[in-house]
Amino acid sequence: MARSQPLRVFAEEVGDIASFTGRFFREVFRPRFEWAELLRQSFINGYRSLPLVAVTAFIMGLVLTVQSRPTLERFGAEAMLPLMVAISVVREIGPVITALICAGKIGSSIGAELGSMKVTEQIDAMEVSGTNPFKYLVVTRVVSTTLMVPVLVVFADAIAIYASYIGVNIKGSVSWSLFHQQVFDSLAFADFIPAFIKSFFFGFAIGIVGCYKGFNTKKGTEGVGQASHSSVVVASLVIFFIDLIAVQITDILGYN
Amino acid sequence: MEKPEHSIEQPVAIGDEVVVHIRGLQKAFGKNQVLSGFDMDVHKGENVMVLGKSGSGKSVLIKCIIGLLVPDAGVVEVLGQDMLALEHDAMDKMRVRIGFLFQSNALYDSMTVRENLEFPMRRHLTAMEPTERNDRVAKALADVGLEHTVDLMPSELSGGMRKRIGLARTLIMRPEIVLYDEPTTGLDPITSREIVELMLDLQREYGTSSILISHDLNVAKLAANQVIVLHEGIAHAQGTFDELMHSTDPVVRRFFDSL
Repeated sequence: MARSQPLRVFAEEVGDIASFTGRFFREVFRPRFEWAELLRQSFINGYRSLPLVAVTAFIMGLVLTVQSRPTLERFGAEAMLPLMVAISVVREIGPVITALICAGKIGSSIGAELGSMKVTEQIDAMEVSGTNPFKYLVVTRVVSTTLMVPVLVVFADAIAIYASYIGVNIKGSVSWSLFHQQVFDSLAFADFIPAFIKSFFFGFAIGIVGCYKGFNTKKGTEGVGQASHSSVVVASLVIFFIDLIAVQITDILGYN
Repeated sequence: MEKPEHSIEQPVAIGDEVVVHIRGLQKAFGKNQVLSGFDMDVHKGENVMVLGKSGSGKSVLIKCIIGLLVPDAGVVEVLGQDMLALEHDAMDKMRVRIGFLFQSNALYDSMTVRENLEFPMRRHLTAMEPTERNDRVAKALADVGLEHTVDLMPSELSGGMRKRIGLARTLIMRPEIVLYDEPTTGLDPITSREIVELMLDLQREYGTSSILISHDLNVAKLAANQVIVLHEGIAHAQGTFDELMHSTDPVVRRFFDSL
C-alpha cells in the first residue's frame, strides 16, 4: 500500500498540471488581455536573462570548439570544425542549454514569486479586488516565457557561433568571412526550424510549471522554497522529455 | 457589574435595508464540518462583529461571503445579489462593491504604496484621469495619516502602518460593505485602538456597512452594533455588546469572563 503512494502522488501531480494547463488555454483567449503586464514580464524574463544566456552561450561555443578539435584533427577533418559546431549548437545544444538556464533563472523566480504571493494572501487580495489572478499572473507569465525563450535561443546560437570563431582561431587562423561562409553553407532551414519550434515548447513548459508550482504553494515559507526548487527540477525534466519527442518527430519527418 | 462605556462615537445611522443576508450556510473540509447552518443579517450602516475562538470558522465565513470559498449549502446574498449564482465577470464587478481587509494586509510587496493603492483603480476605473487618480491616492493616504509613505515599499513599513495602508487600499474604491479579517491581531493595544478609531472615522465618512471577525472583545466594545458568537458552526448567540456582556449562557460567558 505504502509503495503505491509515490506513484499515486505522481499521477495526481500530472493530472493537476494537465488541468492547470487546460485552464490556461481556456483563459488565454478570453478578454481582458493584460498587455501591460505581458510586456513587463517579457522585459523581466527576456531582457534581464540576456547577460546570463550570453555568458553561458559564449562558454558553450568556445568549449565545444576546443573540445572537438582533437577528435576532428585525428580524422584530418579540422576544416569541418565550424560546420560541426554550428550544427550542434543550432540543432540541439543551443536550445537545450538555453532552456535549462531559463528553467533555473526564470522558472525558480516565477515559482518563488507566486508562491510567496500565495502564502501571504496577495493572490486572494487580487481576486477580491475584482482582478482574475490567473489571467493577470499566470497567463502573462506563461505567454511571456513561451515568446521569450525562442528569442533567447536565437541570441544564444549567435553568441555560441561567434565564440566558436574565437575557439577556431586559438590554434589556427580562419578569417571571419571564411568561417561565416562555412557555417552558413552547412546550415539549412531544416536545421533551424525544428529547433526553433521546440524552443517555444521549452518556454511554455518553464512558464506553466513555474506558475503551477507557485500558484499551488502550501505550508508557508517552507512551501515557497519547495515551489522554487521543484519548478526548476520538473521544468528541466519536462524539457528533456520534449526534446526526446521533438527529435523523434523531426526524424519521422525526415529532417535529421 | 459596571456597564462598559463606549468611548468612541458610533458612526452612521442604521437603516432597514439588509445588505448581507446569510441563511443556513454550511461548509466542511473533509470530515471537519466548520459551518453547519450559520445565519446572519447585516443592515445598511451597521457594524456586525462575529466573535469566535481560533479555528471556529470565522475566516471561512467571510471567505464564503466574498466568494473565495464556495459553501456546501446555504444562501449568501450581498447587496441583493445571490453571490453563489454569479459568473466570473459579474462576480468581479460585485467584488468592487465589497472591500476586504486581510489579517496579513496582503499588500503587493513588489509594488510601492502608490502602486498598491492605484492597482484596483487602474483595473476598474480605466476612464479615470491620472490627476484624479493621484488626488484619490493622496486623499486615501491623508485619511490614514500616511501621506509621506507614498513612494515606500511595503517592507519599509511597520505593522501598524501596513494595516493603515491596507485599510486605505480597501476603501479607495469606495466599497459599500467592508469585511475585516482580524483587524487588530498582532498589533499592540494602542495601535489596535487607533485602527478601530480609523475604521469608524472612515465608515462615518463613506457610509459603509461592515462585518468584523475577531476574537478581540475590545474591538467588539468599541466598534460593533451587533455581536454574533460563532460556536460549533452556528450563530450561537447574538446581541449588542452590553446584552452579551450580561448573558448567562456558558459559551458566551467564556469570552466575557476573560475580559
